[in-house]
Amino acid sequence: MTRSDTQKRADFETVAVPLMGALYQTALSLTRQPDDASDIVQETFLRAYRTFDNFRAGTNARAWMFTILYSVFTNRRKKAGREDANVPIEELEAKYWQFAASAGPSPDEVDFGQLKSAEVEAALNALPETFRSAVLMVDVNEFSYDEAAAALACPVGTLRSRLFRARRLLAAALHDYARREGYTRSKER
Amino acid sequence: MNRTNHPHDELQLLLDERLDAAAHARVEAHLSTCSQCRRELEALRWTQRAARGLNRPDATAPPEVAARVFAALDEEDRRASPSAHPERTQRGSRLLPALGIAVAAVIALAIVFLRPSGFDPTQNAADDLVRYATATLALDLETKNPQELEQFFADGRIAFPTRVFDFGMMNFELTGGRVHDIDGRRSALFAYTSASGGHIICQMYEGGVSELPDGFERHVDDGIEFRVYRRGTSTLVFWQEGPLVCVLASDGDPGEALAFARAKAQV
Repeated sequence: MTRSDTQKRADFETVAVPLMGALYQTALSLTRQPDDASDIVQETFLRAYRTFDNFRAGTNARAWMFTILYSVFTNRRKKAGREDANVPIEELEAKYWQFAASAGPSPDEVDFGQLKSAEVEAALNALPETFRSAVLMVDVNEFSYDEAAAALACPVGTLRSRLFRARRLLAAALHDYARREGYTRSKER
Repeated sequence: MNRTNHPHDELQLLLDERLDAAAHARVEAHLSTCSQCRRELEALRWTQRAARGLNRPDATAPPEVAARVFAALDEEDRRASPSAHPERTQRGSRLLPALGIAVAAVIALAIVFLRPSGFDPTQNAADDLVRYATATLALDLETKNPQELEQFFADGRIAFPTRVFDFGMMNFELTGGRVHDIDGRRSALFAYTSASGGHIICQMYEGGVSELPDGFERHVDDGIEFRVYRRGTSTLVFWQEGPLVCVLASDGDPGEALAFARAKAQV
């Protein structure tokens, strides 16, 4: 390697390597398969490295890397022809609107605070990818609407609509789960 | 319940602090009198907080994943500079202990699992055309002026010079462009529409046509090689311009797409 090649590699690692953990966690949430997540992270780094000359120092490296990650994920999913729908969307939405229509709180009001991270993660991972990715980008990884829309290659209005619907689905799923588990305010654990 | 009586979407915008002052005051006023919406906001707020709790800033990738990544980068360096010694950079070597990874011990194994990059922009280019035709591809700048769009890209957004062609004489009007990504590479994208409802998307990115997959028709005109692919109802024409690859995607007649590509390439 020439000196400039060596410098490019060093600069790339400085920018990209600290993001590897977050990228892997997101890939795992998207694919739900460690092997697939590993493949996607590897390909993301390789593509980012090949185009690193285009990356302007000081700009948003996180948004850049996550955009590539999502592009890699989408391409792979298209090639594999995979679609997912793990939860009954209409049923969950109906439950959400039923919940939103009641004035509450009732004596056996669900206490979301008793839910554990693993339970929240499982509920999120059960959402269809379109909704899951909106929550992953905006709420979990805390990207702006604009950054998330760019990464997911959709208009901001579409991103917002998916995000709002995703939160309602997630809230309904968690409410349902908490009630089944008996996580109520009258039964503090 | 009549959902229109309650500001459901505004509750989420409130949550994301994206309401202007007037809307904020209006929603707060509603909340002060509506227990349903207070309850809904509380549930949404908790859901958002729970999702944010899944963000682990100190999360690390498993060692075998990190090893695969570094092995892939090493392989890329060797491919780019075949004569180079395939050693890791000094900075990389310093980063590894921080990641807690015994790379030296696992790189040899990781190389076994190394997979080719599989760069294939053809499907992306076809998908982009479909999204543009169905009005689901947002443009960063809407303009009919090619020079304005070239300046937009040149203002620090695209690192290479772009050339936005005027297809007006062929009855296609420029509608705008965006800084885009084609299978992981930064691209300058510009879009055109005809009065009869046809669509064209051109993209320019750094690379070589030699990276493109097989399965193309080859046409040579005035010393320029055009590689023509069909993806669904789209025709994609790729050609090389110095260090850049240009692709023109059209949902019209394949012969017409090649004619447009020739016109752009030979200007």
